[in-house]
Amino acid sequence: MTGVISEGDQWAYVAAAYGLAALLTGAVLWHSWRAMTKAERRSDALRKDRGR
Amino acid sequence: MHAYANPARFLAIARPLTPWLLGLGMALLFAGAWAGLVLVPGDYKQGETARILYVHVPSAWLGMGGWSGLAVAGLVQLVWRHPLAGIAARAIAVPGMLFTALCLATGSIWGKPTWGTWWEWDGRMTSMLVLLFLYAGFVALTMGDEGGRQGGTLPRGAAVYALVGAVNIPIINRSVVWWNSLHQGPSITMRGSSIDGALLWPLGLTLLGFSLLFGAIVLMRMRRIIADNRVTARLRRMADEED
Repeated sequence: MTGVISEGDQWAYVAAAYGLAALLTGAVLWHSWRAMTKAERRSDALRKDRGR
Repeated sequence: MHAYANPARFLAIARPLTPWLLGLGMALLFAGAWAGLVLVPGDYKQGETARILYVHVPSAWLGMGGWSGLAVAGLVQLVWRHPLAGIAARAIAVPGMLFTALCLATGSIWGKPTWGTWWEWDGRMTSMLVLLFLYAGFVALTMGDEGGRQGGTLPRGAAVYALVGAVNIPIINRSVVWWNSLHQGPSITMRGSSIDGALLWPLGLTLLGFSLLFGAIVLMRMRRIIADNRVTARLRRMADEED
């Protein structure tokens, strides 16, 4: 393929693939972390409330 | 296995394990991506676009591995009624679907400069697209089932669906051998690799890094479901006491 598509254009495809991977992986990590901490905080607060 | 059926015992392991998987996964992923983008040379035929390999292959691995996990969890729930199996299956579904979509998207981005087309209805790409639809079906089946969420168990139909859908995994794996395809044949087999060692080693880092992150994501989602179940159970007990 080298010679058909310029090196700069090839890097654009690479950047798109890595950017998409970073975006989607980061989004699912952040969402999972946030949902977990929120749910565990709520569960702990209710347990402490019941303990009083 | 039944020793870990107790969510409290599971949490005692999952809580300290989650940050380790996260930290190690990210470190390996960054190292692998850095090596894949900077240290290794471009491919002699495909040039720089071959670097997409280091994110495309791990996402394919996780999409297929995720469904294998889903099928095992479905089997474990159907046979042994392990309470964590349904929770694990629910936790795997969305990240599994996401990495399957990422595999298709990065493959498409790689396909355009290599084959001259974004998409081709060949065996590998079509069977991978079927996997994405299977994930979407599983998510739809289990998300609509709010009653079943209490305790985390799967509806029987969803567990059977996960098992039947596993038929697609060997089809994806063998598709490039069974049918003529634009997609290259298997590069890494039990007999070795057709990829030169100079290009191959960062793949080990990104494969392991993505796998550890996937493990961390699944653990976090399982912990979230268990916490939600506990809240629901406590609220129900409180309501019963007030009656």
